[in-house]
Amino acid sequence: MARPTPLPRWRHDEGPVPDAGMLPVLPALRGLLPGGLRRGTVVAVGGWGLLCLAAAAGASAAGAWCAAVGLPQLGAAAAAEAGLDPGRLLLVPDPGVHWPQVVASLLDGCELVLLRPPGRPSAQVRTRLAAALRRCGGVLVAAGGWEGAQARLFVTRQEWAGIGTGHGRLRARRVQVVADGRGGAARSRMRWLWLPGPDGSVSAADQLTIPAPDMRDTG
Amino acid sequence: MTAGGDLPERVLVVWCPGWPEVGQETGPAGDDAGPDDGAAPDAGQRAPEFGQVVSVVEGFCPRVEVLRPGACAIGVRGPARYFGGEGALAAKVIDAVAGGGVACQVGIADGLFAARLAAGAARSARRGRDARPAPTASPVSTAHSGPATLVAPGRAREFLAPFPVSVLDGPGGADLAALLPRLGIRTLGEFASLAATDVVNRFGVPGVIAHRLARGLDPRPLAPRPPAADLSVSAEFDPPAGQAEPVVFAAKALAQRMHDGLAAAGLACVRVQVQAVWEDGRQLTRLWRHDGLLSALAVAERVRWQLAAWQPGQPHPSPPPSPPVAGKPPAVQIPAPRGAAERTTDGYPGGIALLRLIPDQLVRDRGRQLGLWGDAVVTDRVARAAVRVQAMLGHDAVTRPVPAGGRSPDEQVTLVPYGDGSDRMLPPGGPWPGRIPPPSPATVYPSPLPARIADGSGAAVAVSGRGLVSAPPARMSADGAPWLAVTAWAGPWPVTERWWHPGAARRRARFQLVTEDGAAWLVAVQEGSWLIEARYD
Repeated sequence: MARPTPLPRWRHDEGPVPDAGMLPVLPALRGLLPGGLRRGTVVAVGGWGLLCLAAAAGASAAGAWCAAVGLPQLGAAAAAEAGLDPGRLLLVPDPGVHWPQVVASLLDGCELVLLRPPGRPSAQVRTRLAAALRRCGGVLVAAGGWEGAQARLFVTRQEWAGIGTGHGRLRARRVQVVADGRGGAARSRMRWLWLPGPDGSVSAADQLTIPAPDMRDTG
Repeated sequence: MTAGGDLPERVLVVWCPGWPEVGQETGPAGDDAGPDDGAAPDAGQRAPEFGQVVSVVEGFCPRVEVLRPGACAIGVRGPARYFGGEGALAAKVIDAVAGGGVACQVGIADGLFAARLAAGAARSARRGRDARPAPTASPVSTAHSGPATLVAPGRAREFLAPFPVSVLDGPGGADLAALLPRLGIRTLGEFASLAATDVVNRFGVPGVIAHRLARGLDPRPLAPRPPAADLSVSAEFDPPAGQAEPVVFAAKALAQRMHDGLAAAGLACVRVQVQAVWEDGRQLTRLWRHDGLLSALAVAERVRWQLAAWQPGQPHPSPPPSPPVAGKPPAVQIPAPRGAAERTTDGYPGGIALLRLIPDQLVRDRGRQLGLWGDAVVTDRVARAAVRVQAMLGHDAVTRPVPAGGRSPDEQVTLVPYGDGSDRMLPPGGPWPGRIPPPSPATVYPSPLPARIADGSGAAVAVSGRGLVSAPPARMSADGAPWLAVTAWAGPWPVTERWWHPGAARRRARFQLVTEDGAAWLVAVQEGSWLIEARYD
C-alpha cells in the first residue's frame, strides 16, 4: 500500500508479476507501457473503447479487482474476450454527481478503476483523486483524456478485416496505437495491434503484412 | 371433537365479504367462488385495516392464519370448547367483528378448503341466491350481521359435492378447474368419486391435492402466523446526537439486541433496514444485505457508512422520507423538513433523535454453508468498497456482470446487484443459433440508439420478410448525427426470437457496418426502423 520504490528491473515479462510497484499489462501492450501500469498514477485513453478494456485486462487476469465507473455501455463479453475477468469486475454505471467520491471509495478496494468522467474534471477533483491513488496504490484508467496523466494511449489508425460489401463479417481490427506520457514514459511509442483479434483477444500485429488470409466467410 | 383420525382439523374461516369487491366479480370461479378467489387490486392497500379484524379474531384464538386481506382462519377445537360449542363460537366471532364496524361471514368445517367454501355459502344464504348449491348443513342464522355455516364433522365431502370444480385453486388447481369440465367432471362430488390411483396417474401431484380437497381431506395443516412479534429494535437519543460516534456506538448494542431477538425466534433476516431519524424529521433509510452473516460490529459499521454517506453539503440525499418498503412497519410520521439553513456546524441538523434497525425478510435460520470453491472470492477490501458505494448510491448502483445466454450482445450478460445471488435467467454456453460471433463489441448500448440508413439514392434501406435487402446500405446516421458513408457491410442476419411470447417476441435483421471514420457498428432493423445495438470500438 505504501508508495513503493521503483522496481529494479524485469527479469522476464511473462505471467503475473508479484510486484508492488506495477500492475501488469497484456503482453501485446508491453511495448507501449513498459513495465506495466505504475501504481498510483492515471492512464488516459483517447476515448472509450476496447483499448480501455485491454489496458485493464492484464491486471485483471493477474488477479486484480477492477471497477468501471460511468460506463453503462461497457460490453462485458468484449471485456472477457480481451482478458478481463468478469468475476472480478464491479460496475457502477451511473455514479451521479458525486463520482469523484465513488471513484475514491472504489480505489480503496479495487486496484484498477476504469472511469469515463461525466464532464471535464476540475483541477481540484484531479488533485483529490491523485491523492487517493497515491494512498491506495491503485491505477485509474480514464477514457476521454485526463490532464496530467502519466501515460496516454491513442488509437491513430484502424482497419477492419473480414468484412466486405455484403459478405463476410467483422473478424478483426488492426489498429495503430500511440503511447506517450510524462517522465520515463515521455518518449512516444507506436505499435500495431490486433484489437480485437479474431477471437476477441488482443495481440501484436505485424505492421508490414497486410492481413493475408482470406477472411471472407459467408457460412 | 374430530370424528376420525384421518379427518382434518376443524377450522373456522372469517370472511369479510366487503373486502375484495373486484375479485368477487371477476374471479375465475365467478360468483361460485368462496372467499379465496382473486384478490382485489386494492386489497393490499386495505391490509392494515384488516389487521384490526385479525386482532379481534386473535381475541378468540391467538394463532390466526391470514389467508389474504379479507379472510382469516383459526383452529376451532379449543375456542369451541371454551365458548360452549361451535355455533356459539361462530355467533361470538361475528358479533365481535361486527362490533368493529365490519360485516363478516363465518364458516366452520373440516379443513380449510371446506371452511372457506362454507363461509362463502353463508354469504349466498344471506343474499338468497338460488344458484348456490344447498349446503348439507343448514345455516345457523343468527341475529347478527352475517350468518354462519356449520358443516358437521365428517360431512365435508357431502357438503363439497355440489360445488363446481371451478372452486379448486392452489398450485395447479386453476389448470385442473379448466380441464375437468372438458372431461365431463363438473362437480367436486364427481371428482371425488374417482379412484385416487386413477387421479394420480392422470393428473399428477396437483390432481392428488385437489382430489384430497374434494374428498374433504386436507392437503396441509393450518399454518398459523406466529404471534406478531416486532423484532425491530430502536434507540432514542435525548438530547439528539450531533455526532455520528454515539449513534454508531449505540448501533452496536442495538444490533446485538436484534440478533438476540432473531436467534430466540430461530430466525435470520436476509436484509436489515437501518433507519435514522433526525430531530427535525428528516430520515435516512437504507437496506443492507445481512443473510444472517453480519456481526453486531458489522451492522454498526453499516450504520456508520450510512451516516457518512449523508454529507451535509450535498443537496440530494433526500430531505423527504424515503418511501416505505413494502412489508415494513409503517415509517415514523415525519413533519415537513425545514430548510438547510438551520444546519449545525457538525452537519447534522438538530442531531439524530432515533435509530431503528428492522430485520427484513425473515427466514428460518438454517445456518449457511459456504461453497468450497467455485465462487470468485470477494476479499474484504473489495466488499467494503462496494458496500460503501452502495451506501452512497443505493443497492442497485453497484453490479457485477454474470454471463448469460442469448443471441445479441445485450442478452449475453446479466447485471446482478452486488451482494445478491446470481439468479441467471438463461445459462450461458447453450447453442444459440444466429448468435453474433466474437469478437464482441466493446460498446453495448443499454437502450439501442435510433439510426437512419439509406442506400445510394437516399431512400431508406428495408429488409423484406424473406430477408432480402432492398438496396446496399450506403450512408448511415446515428442518433441524428451527420451522415457517414458506409464502406463495408454484412448482413442481413434475420432472427425471430420468442415468437410464442407476445411481450418478449423480437423479429430483427442484423447488419454489421463499417463507416468511413473506421468505426464498426452492429445495427438491426425491426418493423421498418433501424436501431444501433452496439459499436465495435
